[in-house]
Amino acid sequence: MSANNNIYKPFKARLEKVIEESPLIKTLVMVPETEFSFKTGEFIELTLDGIGEAPFTPSSSPFVKDRFEVTIMKAGYVTGLMHELPVGEVLGVRGPFGRGYPVEEFFGKEVLILGGGCGLAPIRSLLYTLIEYKDKIKKVILAYGSKSPQDCIYKPLFSYLNSIDNFEAHRTVDETTDDWDESVGVATVLLDKVKVDIPNAIAVVCGPPVMMKYGTFKLLDMGFPEKDIYLSMEKNMSCGLGKCGHCMMGEYFVCKDGPVFTYDEIKDLPDIW
Amino acid sequence: MNNLPEPDVLVKHYELTADAWEKAIGTLPGSHTVYAPVKRWGSLDYEPITTENIPAIVYNEPKPVSPLKLFLLPVKENVVLEPDVNKPLVVIGTPSCDLWALDLLDRFYLNSDFIDPYYKLRREKMILIGTACHSLLEHCHCTSYGVNPWPEKNHDILLSQSNGKFFLEVLTEKGEKLLETLKTGLEIPAASNGLPEELIQKRRSVKSQIDQANKKLPNYQETTSAVKNAGEEVWEKYAETCVSCGACATICPTCTCFLLIDRPGFEKVKQMDACQYPGFQRVAGGEDPHRKHHIRFSNRYFCKYVFRPERYDALACTGCGRCIEACIGKINKNEIFMEITR
Repeated sequence: MSANNNIYKPFKARLEKVIEESPLIKTLVMVPETEFSFKTGEFIELTLDGIGEAPFTPSSSPFVKDRFEVTIMKAGYVTGLMHELPVGEVLGVRGPFGRGYPVEEFFGKEVLILGGGCGLAPIRSLLYTLIEYKDKIKKVILAYGSKSPQDCIYKPLFSYLNSIDNFEAHRTVDETTDDWDESVGVATVLLDKVKVDIPNAIAVVCGPPVMMKYGTFKLLDMGFPEKDIYLSMEKNMSCGLGKCGHCMMGEYFVCKDGPVFTYDEIKDLPDIW
Repeated sequence: MNNLPEPDVLVKHYELTADAWEKAIGTLPGSHTVYAPVKRWGSLDYEPITTENIPAIVYNEPKPVSPLKLFLLPVKENVVLEPDVNKPLVVIGTPSCDLWALDLLDRFYLNSDFIDPYYKLRREKMILIGTACHSLLEHCHCTSYGVNPWPEKNHDILLSQSNGKFFLEVLTEKGEKLLETLKTGLEIPAASNGLPEELIQKRRSVKSQIDQANKKLPNYQETTSAVKNAGEEVWEKYAETCVSCGACATICPTCTCFLLIDRPGFEKVKQMDACQYPGFQRVAGGEDPHRKHHIRFSNRYFCKYVFRPERYDALACTGCGRCIEACIGKINKNEIFMEITR
């Protein structure tokens, strides 16, 4: 059995650049040592040699082949150490794994994206993908919430999106400072402000569990059908193969059957949020 | 993988004296790794067999302490290095409950989505000599799951012992090949008749004893809906004495969960894990859908009786009763099923 066909064995990637997005969130730009491509919404397992690995959905464009980015919130032991890595460090990568966003199904429709906190990472990859297909998408609306202005990540992204025809981006913060002139309140408040042709739209939600839950309920109240709400479920994905059991959500293995699910697929399962 | 032969085509019967059988097994160590049930301090478990301890092998007694899965899914294994599997592995004395469990394990680890290379290699090298149970233990309840106490599938040779004689039924090509090795320097005559009537009667008798001992248990077909409809209070009540030790999952012939542990050099060690351990589903930041003990406790029942059977069309509980014997909280899953189907 060679290393090439052993799915448990990571390939190597070199850390090229670290971008500080917020006090708790950094983006690692990495150059893979072997050919690597992914579809938007699929995820990888990123390994710190001899220490541990953690799942991340790349936040970069799948159309960029020579490097990829992962945006990491300092939330535990491994992610804390990942924040301290020097440029040039070699990491391990397994994947890509799972089922990403079915972008072709969004063609001809409006796409309403609700994101919160570090949940904007997979969404940024999706947005880059939708930009590539902008002639096939009717409209893209991003509604993003963060705790405070300084917790808002990808700051240049919003003006860039607003400069593209049929793309609009809105931000809100839970707590404000004097120089903030955008919305205040949880992410769902933005949904009252946007104009969506719901029968011809789909919604995408990614963020912390509490935002996913109330964001989904709000979208249902607005009239989105359950099958048109796409959720990126981030659980404790470990093996990436649908085997180890750590990410089981009802009958599903989030790492293999997801991480992207429609709400109607998972609504009856216990403890999804 | 289907080791089941076409009936009456491949099945060949052989009959040996005890002395000849022991000589035959004696041809294996060296070219094969051999394990068989041996009794120590009153408990029966698989032990490595050498030419020295062949007479200590126990035949036709109910299940060894260890489930068969441990030969395929070691407690710990480095899954980046080459697997340490060379010789064929012969396991003598596999009971029906463990053989049925292979249906699920094979569908889980050899499905078209992903074939686990380590499992596949071990499975291919494994030759199974099944034996019928000629008695039962306190918590044996295979028949309530539609599993008979004699090997019906996934074995290569069926071995039976009666009145100092050994009867072999060779069922697969792997079994045929092993028989050739067993015959080295030895005559193993084909039996003119099938299994002696006395052995058939013994099987029937054990089946009816297991049926009788478990007559209050619901039928397997009822378990899925019973678990789905059980109230939260049931899980809360039975989780009270659960100490989250994970023994039920470790000893279960069909539980498959594992943990990947990192080692220097980007190596990964795959280690047996259990959904009953606190923090099994916890993510960075502390969110844990199974934080509540009774939810974690109920997960094992949902997995065994709802998720796995629906997804893999195979039994995820074969009624071996090991989880009941292993539980230090004295939790008896059969009592739970009697309560939730009342």
